[in-house]
Amino acid sequence: MIYLNNAATTWPKPQCVQNACIDFFHQLPAGQFRSSVDTGKTDVFENCQKKLGMLLGIRETERIHFTSGSTEAFNKLLYGLGIPASQIIVTATEHNSVLRPLYNIPSIQGKPVIVPCNGNGRVLPEELEKCITPATRAVVVNHCSNVTGCIQDMEKIGRIAKEHHLLLIADISQSAGCIPVDVDGWMADAVAFTGHKSLFGIQGSGGYYVRSAVPFRPMMFGGSGRDSSRLIYQEENYEYDTGTQNGIGVAALDAGLTYLLEKGVETIHREEQEKMRWLYEKLACLESVILYGNLEENKGPVLSFRVKGIEASDTAYILQNGYGIVTRAGLHCAPLIHPWLGSGRGGTVRISISDQNTWEELEQFAAAMEEIDRMAAAEL
Amino acid sequence: MAKVTSVVESRERCAEAGWFAYDLLLDQPMDRAFIRSLKGIGGSFVFLEMLKNPFFKLEADHYLLKGVQGNDFFRLAMHGDHLQELERVKTYLSELAGESAGGPEP
Repeated sequence: MIYLNNAATTWPKPQCVQNACIDFFHQLPAGQFRSSVDTGKTDVFENCQKKLGMLLGIRETERIHFTSGSTEAFNKLLYGLGIPASQIIVTATEHNSVLRPLYNIPSIQGKPVIVPCNGNGRVLPEELEKCITPATRAVVVNHCSNVTGCIQDMEKIGRIAKEHHLLLIADISQSAGCIPVDVDGWMADAVAFTGHKSLFGIQGSGGYYVRSAVPFRPMMFGGSGRDSSRLIYQEENYEYDTGTQNGIGVAALDAGLTYLLEKGVETIHREEQEKMRWLYEKLACLESVILYGNLEENKGPVLSFRVKGIEASDTAYILQNGYGIVTRAGLHCAPLIHPWLGSGRGGTVRISISDQNTWEELEQFAAAMEEIDRMAAAEL
Repeated sequence: MAKVTSVVESRERCAEAGWFAYDLLLDQPMDRAFIRSLKGIGGSFVFLEMLKNPFFKLEADHYLLKGVQGNDFFRLAMHGDHLQELERVKTYLSELAGESAGGPEP
């Protein structure tokens, strides 16, 4: 099998991540304030926070909290900030991990203001600025679209947010680990990330960051290993890491971060861009292929397309069951972007690469697509 | 003629959003004759034989079948209020297998 569905979850993981998972079972568990087995050492949670800070440009690493992924992170973030959905601007490129909490968390639920994007998934900062009203309190922006790979201009959006005294919340689920991220440089107040995509952690890991000056209420209360006699929290002494944490998930994420920091995200981004450029050029030559993006605007490791006359789900089925190539078809959990792309109810076929994909795999995909294109041109 | 050995719910829920999808597992790979015989179930039939591994799709208002020649499984998806189509397809295939073996199955 050739795996080109890395935007869903990366596979395979680097060897060091696999080793970290095995090593986890051979070591005493991290104390996390509940025992003294790690006296004199920093535990894996703190190490991981520091590495995330280095990779993502976050100074207040103690404000990074671990979750099961972006969905839990956004539920906790949006609940904790407590801003009604109607006072939040989101982009048309957002994932359901943002949209569904806004529409469904009882204390904030409502219809957010939605900024459109162009046919490649680009959100123009000036369009976003036009959506700001006196009622607006926050803006949520997906750094890299998981449908088109379009990377938004976070610096400019950050400046607009600050000029209008809005909170900037960034979704870096698709970009963290494969595209340079600078949370403090963007002046972002909060971000959510997932561990199992380009950060090379395992499924069930992720987290969020909230700047210390931002009022934030935890969604969950419970065991924390600290000051167990306290039952009622005041606003200034909230704890956010409650319950036993996902130790193996954080250990794997920590190993993934080590891999990324050693190789360098810029290097990974450059190499992946080279591969994506090659894929775009190959697919652009095929007369029956419709591309939803272009080389100038879409620089993430994700590409969406359709074959004329064939449903996206059928193309993905043919690739998987006829050629052994795993892609993904449909709306990709980002339902609002498709009307802007013109991709229709069936969505797109998405290919997404990781640092682990080889040129040979991409050549085999291109050869399969050439054959599908010949068939489509002749028979449909 | 291939026989259905089991029916499993498809894991690809996103790909068939709003549909109930199943994979029908067969006792042997599908050949051209088996695929063409599926037309009897009813619906518009597409068979892309130019592909190295030919793809077929049979589509009607409330259900669709699709698969690839040489595989020992195919996909059946139905709208939620037409789940009886699964039994109809299974019966059709059972009768087909019985006929090709020289008579109906006991």
